Amino acid sequence: MTIAFTAPRSTLNLSRMWHDAPAFTGLAMLLTLAVPPLLAAMALDDRLFQGDSVWLKPLKFHLALVIYLITLAFFARFMPPTGRLWRAFVTAVCIAVLGEIVWIGGAASFQTASHFNITNPVMTGLYGLMGAFAVLLTSASLVMGIAIGRNRGSDLPPTLRLSIALGLIATFVLTVIVAGTMSSTLSHFVGTSTRTLPIMGWSRDAGDLRVAHFFATHALHAVPLTGLVATRLTPTQGRIAVFGATLAYSAFTLALFVQALAGHPFL
Amino acid sequence: MTPDSLFQIANPLVLIGWLALALSPLAPRWSDSVAGLVIPLLLSITYTALVLVHWTSAPGGFGSLTDVMALFTSPGVALAGWVHYLAFDMLVGAWICRTARAEGIPHLFILPCLVPTFLFGPAGFAAFIALRAIFAARASAPKVPA
Repeated sequence: MTIAFTAPRSTLNLSRMWHDAPAFTGLAMLLTLAVPPLLAAMALDDRLFQGDSVWLKPLKFHLALVIYLITLAFFARFMPPTGRLWRAFVTAVCIAVLGEIVWIGGAASFQTASHFNITNPVMTGLYGLMGAFAVLLTSASLVMGIAIGRNRGSDLPPTLRLSIALGLIATFVLTVIVAGTMSSTLSHFVGTSTRTLPIMGWSRDAGDLRVAHFFATHALHAVPLTGLVATRLTPTQGRIAVFGATLAYSAFTLALFVQALAGHPFL
Repeated sequence: MTPDSLFQIANPLVLIGWLALALSPLAPRWSDSVAGLVIPLLLSITYTALVLVHWTSAPGGFGSLTDVMALFTSPGVALAGWVHYLAFDMLVGAWICRTARAEGIPHLFILPCLVPTFLFGPAGFAAFIALRAIFAARASAPKVPA
């Protein structure tokens, strides 16, 4: 028996996202509209931080958070009916995202570190607060994963629903493990980095904890993609395949984490 | 009156206008006239007087950045430039409040735009245009059947 998941016409439709998750969609649009001024600042600014333009890090965080918010807005259509509590949570998550963005952009304009900055009481306090904000914004994936996993009311094939739920939950669990450990060190590098990969900026001769952070956070894309393929199997086989894929992806991410902690480069 | 003492008067004056804009939902018509007309007009009259008095004796000009910087070494012209900022930034702030009210954008979203408009005028204007675009995009998104 095969269950074909036919994507509705509105799969990637923006109006669907406005309907299901107006705050996430609006915030993603705001962060996108802030990219041109960041690029202009990058073009005007000769200042470097750790060898790159001071504006590279804010730019990366804008793009990463836009992808995260749009993904959550996309999955929001599979949520059970939500109420006031959900809206309050979404507001808190959006404030956390804005807080991170202002903190990272502000530190960049002062040509100083945002993460790992414990040079004075203000920056130390902010770093702690932003750690809490980071957990808060990541917890949106946990809450949505649990809610979607329990929602038998949607017309999703069970295999696909399971994969979306597990992917969202894995994003939270893996990101908190990896980023939490990273924040207890003083740098994302383990060892001294002299060469980096293009675009991603990952070290080629030292351990780089950001590699595992990247794969941890993208579990919410990778696991549902395996679920999409697994809908071609029987429900039981699909279930096993999705659990297996989640475990394999988590093991892969944790292996990259151990690799970096041991001071070895990813590639 | 010296440029220094005029400067000391102009700054608290605009604070009144910005406070009125921040609280504008309480008294929209009153804040519109104070921040959208009365205070900018007072500043504009002051500006005009300062230019009449100081322009002809000031060094520099508009031809190059060096000329403009030389122009602002005259305290009277520098004060005029400052008053120009104060007046026009507040006009933009008042316009933002009026536009948001007309288009139904909640004031809570406007407050974070008013702060940069007060401190870094054009950045606040750009922030409001972005916010307005987001609300317009949401309003024009076709309704999805639930």
